[in-house]
Amino acid sequence: MITVTINGKKITLEKPVTILKAAEIAGIKIPTLCHHDMLEPYGGCRLCLVEIEKMPRLQTACTQHVTDGMVVWTETEKVVEARKGVLEFLLINHPLDCPYCDKAGECNLQDLVVKYGPATGRFAEGKRTHPESYDDPIIVRNMERCILCTRCVRMCDKVQGASAISITNRSSKSFVEPFSGGRYDCEYCGNCLTVCPVGAIMSRLHKHAYRPWLIEKEVDTVCSFCGVGCSLTLQVRGNSIVRAVPKPGKGLNKGLLCNRGRFGYDYVGSTDRLDSPLIRKDGKLERATWSEAFSYIANRLKKIKETYGSNSVAGIASGRCTNEDNYVFQKFMRVVLGTNNIDSVAGFAYAPAQKFFESIFGQGVTANPMHGIANSDGIFVIGGDPTSVNPVLGLQVRAAHQKGVPVITSGYMQGLKMFSSKSLIPNPFTETALLASLLTGLMKERPFCGLNSAFEKIIRDIQPVEIKEAEEICGITSKDISYAIDTLSVMTNPSIIIGRDILQRAEGHTNLLLLAALIYLLNGRIYLLSELPNEQGLVDMGCLPDTLPGGRPVTVDIFRKRYEEFFGVEIPSRSGLSLMEMIDAAHANKIKAMYVMGEDVVSNVPNTKHIKDALSELDLLVVQDIFMTETANLADVVLPSLAWAEKEGSYTNLERRMQMLRKAVDGKGMDDWQAIAEISRMLGFDMDYKDSGDIISEIAKVSPLHKDISYKDMEDGECMWPYKGEPLRHGMSIEGIENSKFEIRNLKFEKYVRPERKKIYIGIDNPLFHAESLSRNSAALHSIAPEAYVRISKVLARELSIANGDYVTIATNSGSIELSAQIDSDLPENIVLIPNNFDGKGVFTVMNWKMNTVIKSPVMDFTEVLVRKATHVFKEATIKN
Amino acid sequence: MEKFLLKNIDNPNSTDINEYISVGGYKAISKALEMKPADVIDEVKRSGLRGRGGAGFPTGMKWSFAAADPKKPKFILCNADEGEPGTFKDRPILEKNPHLLIEGMIISGYALQAEYGYIYLRGEYPRAKDILKDAIKQAHDKGYLGDNILGKGIRFHLHVHQGAGAYICGEETALIESLEGRRGQPRIKPPFPVNEGFLSKPTVVNNVETLANIPYIMEIGAEAYSKIGSPDCPGPKLYSISGHVKNPGVYELPMGTTLRDIIYAHCGGIRDNKKLKAVIPGGISTPILSPDKIDCPMDFVNMPKHGSMLGSGAVMVFDETVDLAKVCLRAMKFFEHESCGKCTPCREGVGWMRAILERICNGSGNEKDIELLTEVSKNIIGKTFCPLGDSAASVVQSFIKNFRQEFEQHISKEASKEIKAAA
Repeated sequence: MITVTINGKKITLEKPVTILKAAEIAGIKIPTLCHHDMLEPYGGCRLCLVEIEKMPRLQTACTQHVTDGMVVWTETEKVVEARKGVLEFLLINHPLDCPYCDKAGECNLQDLVVKYGPATGRFAEGKRTHPESYDDPIIVRNMERCILCTRCVRMCDKVQGASAISITNRSSKSFVEPFSGGRYDCEYCGNCLTVCPVGAIMSRLHKHAYRPWLIEKEVDTVCSFCGVGCSLTLQVRGNSIVRAVPKPGKGLNKGLLCNRGRFGYDYVGSTDRLDSPLIRKDGKLERATWSEAFSYIANRLKKIKETYGSNSVAGIASGRCTNEDNYVFQKFMRVVLGTNNIDSVAGFAYAPAQKFFESIFGQGVTANPMHGIANSDGIFVIGGDPTSVNPVLGLQVRAAHQKGVPVITSGYMQGLKMFSSKSLIPNPFTETALLASLLTGLMKERPFCGLNSAFEKIIRDIQPVEIKEAEEICGITSKDISYAIDTLSVMTNPSIIIGRDILQRAEGHTNLLLLAALIYLLNGRIYLLSELPNEQGLVDMGCLPDTLPGGRPVTVDIFRKRYEEFFGVEIPSRSGLSLMEMIDAAHANKIKAMYVMGEDVVSNVPNTKHIKDALSELDLLVVQDIFMTETANLADVVLPSLAWAEKEGSYTNLERRMQMLRKAVDGKGMDDWQAIAEISRMLGFDMDYKDSGDIISEIAKVSPLHKDISYKDMEDGECMWPYKGEPLRHGMSIEGIENSKFEIRNLKFEKYVRPERKKIYIGIDNPLFHAESLSRNSAALHSIAPEAYVRISKVLARELSIANGDYVTIATNSGSIELSAQIDSDLPENIVLIPNNFDGKGVFTVMNWKMNTVIKSPVMDFTEVLVRKATHVFKEATIKN
Repeated sequence: MEKFLLKNIDNPNSTDINEYISVGGYKAISKALEMKPADVIDEVKRSGLRGRGGAGFPTGMKWSFAAADPKKPKFILCNADEGEPGTFKDRPILEKNPHLLIEGMIISGYALQAEYGYIYLRGEYPRAKDILKDAIKQAHDKGYLGDNILGKGIRFHLHVHQGAGAYICGEETALIESLEGRRGQPRIKPPFPVNEGFLSKPTVVNNVETLANIPYIMEIGAEAYSKIGSPDCPGPKLYSISGHVKNPGVYELPMGTTLRDIIYAHCGGIRDNKKLKAVIPGGISTPILSPDKIDCPMDFVNMPKHGSMLGSGAVMVFDETVDLAKVCLRAMKFFEHESCGKCTPCREGVGWMRAILERICNGSGNEKDIELLTEVSKNIIGKTFCPLGDSAASVVQSFIKNFRQEFEQHISKEASKEIKAAA
């Protein structure tokens, strides 16, 4: 025990902390500038100098640790004089920009000078100057205001890991500049902006737009971009979101954000937002009233159901809608329309992967807190770059690496290039062979644990792939594969991070089996990446053709009957159609009507033409969305929805944590659930919900997993699976569940895929600065990455004599597009990567339509492409802001 | 006294290993390798050797701290940054007697059980780099460096790393940062380099001269060594004298030689028979002395008693023709230029002091400026992260205390009138 006396107040501590921390515990505030809880102590600003008895000099409280019996004084004359002196020094070169600096009103320096500083300055010499930098999108730098606390540099280096900026030069000519000179060329996470105590790093989005004290309200909510669900606070003025800011230390993201969450919220206020229901008359979408639209939809659905049967209708839900929206949607489809034809993009990779892993390892096996990643003793990443799909989760991997934790990555992962012990980049689509060789190697070094002997038998039956064979197929050296095997073999509880790319393959189901085998052997902790904020919510709310709310299979009598009893309605006992099956069925005229809620199917699923054709065959297409998406463009009726910041509700993130959204601004649309409830009423089934709270109360009764849940449980941010509910018991132990055994048997691995030499294929790129088709509507995100591009290898570039920025034509048998080339020396030579985020230039416009019939996911690995230097390209004029 | 550190440097082949061996070199190694590492450390402890870089920390004690730390590998770093203005005492060793340094480092490596040694050489000594590299190669070829020194199975590898012109990198933690490839800024202490230094491993940082004394201690023994020079501060000392003396240069004299003896007995007194005005005894960071103070013995113990410090033993002599206000300004220009920028008082305050001094020296100083200078220096002293800013402020204070009239003579009556009118 350590006893410390601060300003006469005695406190006891169990272990030594800094004086600053001890004072905080004692309720005494010591002023600081260069200190930040997320960063290592720096000791540079000298503002926290305090007096310690028996020490001749003043010491900085942020670096000095307490010892037993230490006596500290923080407000003596000496200390007060020292603070004044330091502040006077800081103001020597700091320009008196307060009247026009955006930071005024929330500036640490301002606050400190008012409290502790001299009222007048004695400096009569000239201040040093430095030009303001507008080289970057999003961020503007004014280095004259910089007080060299280096919080930004330390944040970028140690926490974010992007190492984009550094202090250049020396003495009072020190300036924080990017290494690349001029432009940051960084991840634009804005974490430097968050920690800057003065107006040296500011946001361009709100330059001179407002004053902090004019903000009318602050609303705490969670981000709408990806499956991490970072906590952030929206600042509102006059029904507009002015800023999205993190709260220090708050939420599972602990005050860190990525560029999407930090700056991409502006889509909410876009003038392109839908603001009125639309009905197609004479081939054109015309404005209509809500009641007109509802009647139209209800009548047509009734007609189609009566004429062609319930199963002629299909619904697509969205991972951007709340749990409440999705719950009401599946209720509408099942109870009111009488069909199990409900699906979403969760059915492509996230849901099948989770289901498969749960059938072997038990329910909730993916419900792992994100912070466990940095604390594990090893990490394996495959199927997607976490630093672009789930950036704040990606920071965990970087933090782990910085701590010395071994990280093995498989696949092209630029964000983790500097953060892996071994980066394996197999030849395109040969991951199956690589995984098999890792498994073969590991089985020689690690024994089975004996917990699931049935699965162990299956693993033993998998055809082994020796290292030499894998070297030949995958193009990775034996040395590297051996290194990976050796590194993996000593991990006791590694984090296994799986992205969807590995499952959206012809051999996706095989990869799933191999991954499960690896996880079993390594005692791994599973994390499924998700680029949607509520993909888990889709699964939990039953927006899948074979699943009821709570993850209960619809084909199992006992669960289906309980559901039917609650609503007093019978529902079909067979699984419905998956998303790709729905599209094919629409094509074949088996599906007559489709209700699409919040999902831009045309843009976000390959193949654009095939989907457009399919939707054009429908008798009725209803779309609920916030923008006029490509899907909405084909609809018979379009209903405007409320966006994320305009509604209350809940999201379930990839950790299976339930978090609340809170309303920040008023919108012109209607809550998705409310629109559906209205239509349902017109179809004779009343859904009386006053607000989303009523819906969550119903979910608490219908979904055994969410038993007794309420918003109160979510308020502290710690609402983790299994909540207060009952997870579905392990499939194996329930009578009548033949399916899961069947599926495992079905995934028996026999042979592996070898790509054809000399051919080039297309892959999908998941950029950090965009999110599906949603980010098209964010001017901020577009300012960072305005143009569609294609990543090509150095070899291909040389063959075609292409330089960075040259335009190339990408042609497949589905179509062709012109894109700006970005050369990457780490990319294998027979693949080109194209993002899917840009209007009309998405990879899905040229990717072929093929389904993996086991997982029911789109297969993204067999579209061949012809790449040529573009001969004639029209470049749209871009307006620079 | 008989020269040891500068023995044979007048010989044009002094850098050749055979020449060094012929005058008795590389004998101390054999002696040291006969002893246990802990006993070598003990010997250095008992010799009373104190660090020659300026801080004067007992070398044996520093070694024992590093040796006691269980972490491995350990490192011995030679601080050849020699940045303190007025100091050029290490240069003759680096350029003319490199093998003495190498021998000293090998013995230290052995004592600390460190297998790697680095010589951090200041960027402004390009000639020394080639000389050292050649000498290292020669030593390697003769079996004094490498994986099996003198066939005894001892490993020691020595490398030269060149700095890039930063005085702050003479501070041991900033040196280590620079060696690690980072920005040369000092680190928070504790932890100290002896526990967590280079790559967070136990590291001993010693000055060139300190390491050059090690072979001497091994050869004549701790007992005999401790009898040279002052009782609490033994051994030979290299003094580099510059300025207005007849014979400036580097002199090897016993520790504790008085400043008067150094200037008059060894350096021939003031040139052109002018009058002595002031002396800075140990490098620009040490307090300036007036002529009545030069009977002080130049060692770590006595100098503080006489109002200054031994520092690096770099004596700068000023005669009556010198404007000391301008010397002070020049010193502040140096410190401003060399400040790393990490801590507020040094980064901002030293520049402020320089600006005030500039105004004073060019005739636009007013009568409040000397007070202001003192106030600013008070806000720096004791508040900085490392001694650089501290030294700069102390220099200003000592100049004003001992030679106030040098500044006052510049104060412009005109400027003072303006200030009074504006008030």
